[in-house]
Amino acid sequence: MMHAFEYAAPKSLDEALKLLGSAWGDTEILAGGTDLLSLMKDFVVQPKRLVNLADVGLAGIAPEGDSLVIGAMTTLDALLAHASVPTALTQAAAGVHSPQLRSMGTIGGDLLQRPRCWYFRRGHGLLAQKDGASMVEAGDHRDHAVFGNGGAAKYVNPSSFAPALIALGASVKVRGQNGERSLAVKDLYRTPASATEREFTIASNEIVTHVVVPISRSSNATYEIRQRHGLDWPEASASVAVTVVDDKVTAASACLGHVAPVPWTVDVSSLVGSVLTAESAAAVAAEVVADATPLTMNGHKVELAKVALTRALLRAAGKEVVR
Amino acid sequence: MTDDTPRTSVRMTVNGEDVETTFGTHKTLLEVLREELGLTGTKHGCELGECGACAVEVDGKPILSCLLMAAECDGAKVETVEGLMDDARLHPLQEAFADLGAAQCGYCTPGFLMTAKSLLDANPKATRAEVKEALSGCLCRCTGYQQIFDAVLSAADKMGRA
Amino acid sequence: MSSTNWNRDPKNSVGKPRRRVDARARVTGQVRFADDLSLPRMLHCRLVRSHVPHAKILGIDASKALARKGVKLVLTGEHFPIAYGVLPVSHDEHPLCNDKVRFVGDPVAAVIATTEEEAIDAANDVVVHYESLTTIATPQEALATPEPRIHTYGDAGNVHKKVHFEFGDVDASFAGAAHVFDDTFFYEGNTHLPIEEHASLAIQDPEGKLCIWSSTQTPHYLHKALAKALAMDPAHIRVIATPNGGGFGGKSDPFNHEIVVAKAALMLGRPVKICLTRLEVFYCHRGRHPIEMRMRTATDKDGNVLALDLQTLLDGGSYGSYGVASTFYSGALQTVTYTIPRYRFRGCRAFTNKPPCGPKRGHGTPQPRFAQEVQLDRIAVKLGKNPADLRLQQLAQPGSLTANFMRIGTIGLGACIDKVVEGSRFRERWGKLPFGRGLGLACSSYLCGAGLAINWAELPHSGVQLRLDRSGEVTAFCGATEIGQGSDDVLANIVAEILGIPPFDVRVVTGDTGLTPVDLGSYSSRVTLMMGNAAIQASERARDLIAKSVGEKLGVPPSRLVFANKRVFDAQDPNVGMTWLEALHRAESDHGTLGTVGSYRPAAPAAKYKGGGVGPSPTYSYSAAVIETQVDPDTGWIHVEHVWVAHDIGRSLNPTLVEGQVIGSVYMGLGEALMEEQVFGRLPPRLSNALVHKIPSILEYKSLTTKDMPDVTTYLIEDPDSAGPFGAKEVGQGPLLPMMPALANSVFDAVGVRVDEIPVTPEKVIRALEAKTKRYGPGEFPTVDWPEPLKVAPPWEGGDGTAQNEKPRKSKIAKDGTRIVTP
Repeated sequence: MMHAFEYAAPKSLDEALKLLGSAWGDTEILAGGTDLLSLMKDFVVQPKRLVNLADVGLAGIAPEGDSLVIGAMTTLDALLAHASVPTALTQAAAGVHSPQLRSMGTIGGDLLQRPRCWYFRRGHGLLAQKDGASMVEAGDHRDHAVFGNGGAAKYVNPSSFAPALIALGASVKVRGQNGERSLAVKDLYRTPASATEREFTIASNEIVTHVVVPISRSSNATYEIRQRHGLDWPEASASVAVTVVDDKVTAASACLGHVAPVPWTVDVSSLVGSVLTAESAAAVAAEVVADATPLTMNGHKVELAKVALTRALLRAAGKEVVR
Repeated sequence: MTDDTPRTSVRMTVNGEDVETTFGTHKTLLEVLREELGLTGTKHGCELGECGACAVEVDGKPILSCLLMAAECDGAKVETVEGLMDDARLHPLQEAFADLGAAQCGYCTPGFLMTAKSLLDANPKATRAEVKEALSGCLCRCTGYQQIFDAVLSAADKMGRA
Repeated sequence: MSSTNWNRDPKNSVGKPRRRVDARARVTGQVRFADDLSLPRMLHCRLVRSHVPHAKILGIDASKALARKGVKLVLTGEHFPIAYGVLPVSHDEHPLCNDKVRFVGDPVAAVIATTEEEAIDAANDVVVHYESLTTIATPQEALATPEPRIHTYGDAGNVHKKVHFEFGDVDASFAGAAHVFDDTFFYEGNTHLPIEEHASLAIQDPEGKLCIWSSTQTPHYLHKALAKALAMDPAHIRVIATPNGGGFGGKSDPFNHEIVVAKAALMLGRPVKICLTRLEVFYCHRGRHPIEMRMRTATDKDGNVLALDLQTLLDGGSYGSYGVASTFYSGALQTVTYTIPRYRFRGCRAFTNKPPCGPKRGHGTPQPRFAQEVQLDRIAVKLGKNPADLRLQQLAQPGSLTANFMRIGTIGLGACIDKVVEGSRFRERWGKLPFGRGLGLACSSYLCGAGLAINWAELPHSGVQLRLDRSGEVTAFCGATEIGQGSDDVLANIVAEILGIPPFDVRVVTGDTGLTPVDLGSYSSRVTLMMGNAAIQASERARDLIAKSVGEKLGVPPSRLVFANKRVFDAQDPNVGMTWLEALHRAESDHGTLGTVGSYRPAAPAAKYKGGGVGPSPTYSYSAAVIETQVDPDTGWIHVEHVWVAHDIGRSLNPTLVEGQVIGSVYMGLGEALMEEQVFGRLPPRLSNALVHKIPSILEYKSLTTKDMPDVTTYLIEDPDSAGPFGAKEVGQGPLLPMMPALANSVFDAVGVRVDEIPVTPEKVIRALEAKTKRYGPGEFPTVDWPEPLKVAPPWEGGDGTAQNEKPRKSKIAKDGTRIVTP
C-alpha cells in the first residue's frame, strides 16, 4: 500500500520540469518505478506528487557524432537488444535477472535509484544514524561499503550501469529550469554529510534526459559477483575499458560498483605499456584494494572487489577463464 | 483514503474486454485487478517486485503488476491468468503445468504462467537455459522448478507442432 | 471380506503418474486462497506491533486512532485475558500482549477499520508506552541471564526446556573406542517463506456463531485455540482451512491474528479480514531453530559407531510454539539410520527476545542430521574409507528397535545409497576430481507422522467419511488440509483405487471443522499415512456394503468381486458384473442411504520413558543424496552442478506428485545449505536495544532462483511398508534432510575445507580457505548445567522401554479427551 499522492504524466520535458518541486521529497520522478514504488510502499519516500516521464519522449538509442546517445527512459531490454551498446553495459543489463525488471526498468532509473541499505529501507534514514552513532557500524553490515566509508555514509551505490558508464567515460545530459548541462556520470554522485541531502549532485527539479556514451574502440567488460545466479544484488562488481595496441595496453580505466557510497573509480593506469595478463591484472587489482577500509563484518567484499576487477580486465582482454 | 484523495479513471483492455474503472490514483495495477475488477487470479507475495507472483502481461511485455501504477495503464492491453484460457479450453501451458506437476500450492503459478507465455510468444523455440533465465524473477517455494521447466518446454513443443 | 492386507497390488489409479484432481483450479488461478475472499461489509484489521524487543507495557493510548475516519474498533490485551498455545505444556501466548512484549513484532493492539488503508494509518496512531527490559539475543546470553525472565514458566531462568537421556553406558563405549570424533556445529535459523502471506477472514455467521477462513495447516488446533482464548463453546466455532499458498510448517501454529479477527467479527457482527504483509510474515516466523551442537562419536577401528553423544542448544525465540517437541526432535531420530548401540542426548531450548521458532520442514531434525552426516564424512576420510561404504556397513536393520526405542519398519536406505552412488559414479569420482570440484554424500530419515498426538488422547488422529451418491459420485470428507502437497489428491486416489472409479469422480471436502471429521493437520508428514489409512478403512467398508449387495444379485461370493473401471465384476468371469452406478443403486436399495467412516490411530510407541513420545512414528522414510559442486576458490562462490537423490517412499501413490515433493525438498534443502538465513541484529542499547530482523524482504532473505536450481535426478525406492496405505511412506520432508550435509561434504571434496555451519556461504568458504585449520565453524560448545539423565537400557541390554530411574507419572483424561500426564 502507498499513501495517496497526485499523479502527473506530462507530454513534454518542459511540462515535466514545471511539475517538479524545488525540494527533495515533495515530488518524485517515475522512471520505470521498480525502485521508487518499493520505497513508497515501505513509506521511506512519500511524495505529494509523482511525475511520470514515460510520455516525454526520452526512450531510444541513437548514434550522434562519435557518441551513442541513450534516452534516460530506455528500458533494459531495449539496451540488450541494441547492437551498438558497449558490452560493459549489456553485461551489466544482463545481470538484472528478471524479464519483468528489464522490461520495466530504465537506464535513468538505474542511475538514480536509491541505496539498498537495510537501515535506509527500514526507515532509519539514508545515513542510518541515531543519537549521532551509526546504526550500520553497530549492526549487521555485511553488504555495506568497504571504500569511501569514513564519513557518515556507509551504504553502497546500487547502480548497475554507473560503473560501466564511468569506465567508458560517459556523461549525462541534465535539463533544469535554466536549460541543459552536461555532467560526467562520475560527477552525478556525491556522498552526503547530512540526512537531508541526497546522494546526487543534481537538484530535485532537474531531469537526467540522456546518457552520452563515447564510441571508442576500447575493449570493455563488466564482471559482477553475486551470491545467487538469478535475481540478486552484486556484492561487488567491476567495469573496465582497455585499449590494446600491438598487444600492449595503451589506455585503461576502471570503476568498481557496490563497494562504496558512490561508484568507485579506480586507477589502473599502471597497466599501460604492458601486456595484460592474469598476473598483471591481479597485481593492479591488489594495488587498487590495498587502501580499502572494511568494517568489521565485510572484509570479504574487499577480496571480491579484487577478484571482480581482475576478471573484468581479463574478460575485456578476451582472456577470461570460463568457469 | 479520504474524500479528497486523487482518483483516476482509465480505460484498458483486460483479457480482451474493454474495461473502464476508477480508483485512487495511488493504486497499483495489482490492486486494481484484484480489488476493483475482482480478478484475484493474480497474486501478491511481497508487493515489492521481489517474488514475481503478480506477473501479468501489459502490451505484450512481462510486467510486475505490483510495481506498475494503474494510472499508467490507460489504453493498455492487460493479460492476466484469467484470460489465458481459450474460452473453456486450457492454454497448452496450463495443460502442461497440470499434467507434469508444475503447480503444487498454485500460488505462484499465475505469475509463472504469464511469464512463460510472454517468453513463448516472443521465443517459441526457447531452450531450457532460456526458460530458466526468463523465469528467474519468479519464485516458487514448492516445486524446485524442475517440473515447471519441463512443463514450459513441453508446452512449447506442443504449440510448435499445433 | 474386509481386507487389511496392504500388500495387495493396487490395480487402479494408485501408482500411476497422473494429473492431480485439483490441478485445473491451480493452473487457472481459481484456487480461492484466504486473501482472495471478500464479503459485503467486510472490515480490515491491522495489528500494532512492538518496536522494542522486551518491555513492560505501561499504557496504550488509542484515542487518536479511534478518532480517525473509518475506524470501528481498537482491541488491546485487555480484551484477551486467556493464554493459548499449540502444545498443552506451553500455553504462553496471548492474541494481543497482556503485560509485556517479548520481541520486535509482538502484537499489542489491533485496529479494525472500513478500509485497509484506514486501518494502517490508524494503527500508526496508536501510542504504546513501554518500560524497556534487558533483552536476550542468544541462547548463551539466556543461560547467563536468568533474570529478568522472558517467561515465568520453564525449566529455570530463561531456559525453556532441558532434556537428558542416556541409553546404555556411553562413557564405557567411549573409553573402549578405537577412535573418538568430537566436533561442534552451528545451524543458523531460517524461515518458511511461503509465497502466500498469512490471511484470515472471520464472520459472525447468520446464526450468530463464529466462522473463520484462514491459511492454516492445522484447522483442528486453531479450533481448539479459538475456543480456549475466546472462552467459547467449540461447537459454535467453524474453522475452514483455505488452501495454503505454501506452508512448510509456517502455518501450523494457531496465530494471534486469527484469534484477533475472530474476536473483532464477533464484537462487530461484520466480516473482518487480515492479510499480513511480507514483513509481518518474517516476524511471525515459527521457523527453523538456530542450533549449536556438539557431536561426539566413538567408533571401532573400522568406523562402526559404538556410541553417540550429542548436545544441542536451541535458540527458541520468545514463545514456546512447538519448541518442546523441537527440543526432543533435535535428538530423537539420530538412531534410526545406522546401528547405534549406545546413545546419550542432551538438549536445551532457551528463550530469547526474537520471533518464536517452531516447526519447519524436517522439524528439529535437519540440524543434528547435518552434524552427524558431516562427521561421518570426516570419519570416512580419517579411516580412508569411501563414505558410502562406511554407511552401508552399519545400516539400521528393518523391523528393529533402536537404542532409544524407535520402532523401525522397512528400510530402503541401502538401496537409496546404491542408487545415488551409481548415478553419480561416486566410487569412481569421489576424492579424485580436480581442485574446485567435489562430490558429497549424505543420508537421512524422517517420520511418517508423529506416533503420539500433541494432545494425548485416545482418539483417532485422522478420520474420513464417505458419502456415496446415487449419481455415482463419491464425496470424501476429511479434516486434512491441502497446503499444496496434494493431500486432496491422495484422498481421492485411495478412495478411487478401492472403489474402482476414476479419482476425478471423487469429490473431496477437506479442512473444514464444520463439515469434516478431525484430522490433526498437515504437519509431521502424517497426512498420507494417517488420512490414507482412514480412507482405506472407510472405502473398504463402502466396498463391502456394495459387494454384499452385488454378490447377492449376481450370485457371486463378495470376496470374488473386483472393483475396477467403474464396474463391479466377478474376478473369474469379468463379463458377470454390473456398472458402478447399478452397483450403487443395488446397495442403496439394500442398505438405505450409503455412507461410511474410517479412522486411524497409530499403535502405542515402544518408548515408554518420559519424553519417549517424541520420535516414534508408524514407520520412517529414508533418503540419500549425492551433490556435485563447483567451488570458486577466489570468491567462495558455490555452484551446484547436479543432485542425485533417492527416496524410500514405500510406494508412490501418484509418482508425479511424489517426484514434485522430492525435487521441492531438494530445492528447499539447498536453499538452507547455501543461503537462507533468518538472522537478527541487536542495536546497542542507546539505539533502542531492538533486536531487529536483518533482512526482512524476499530479496535480502535469499532463496534459490530458477538459475540457482541444479538439475535433479530422482530415484524412488519402492518397498511397501505394512504401516502405510498401500505401503506408502512420507515424501514431503525426508528428501530435504540430506541436502545440507551433502553440500558441505561436497565443498570439502572440492576445496578441502570444512564449513561446519549452515548456511555454507561464499564468505565462509573463503574464511575457511584462509584459516590454518581449513575450517570455519563454532568453537567450544557452551557450558550447560544439564539435569541428571533419564537412564534407559537399550533393547539389547535388556531394556523394556522404561527408564530405570524415572519417578512414576500420574495420568488422567481431561474433559476434552486429552490425556494429561504429570510426574
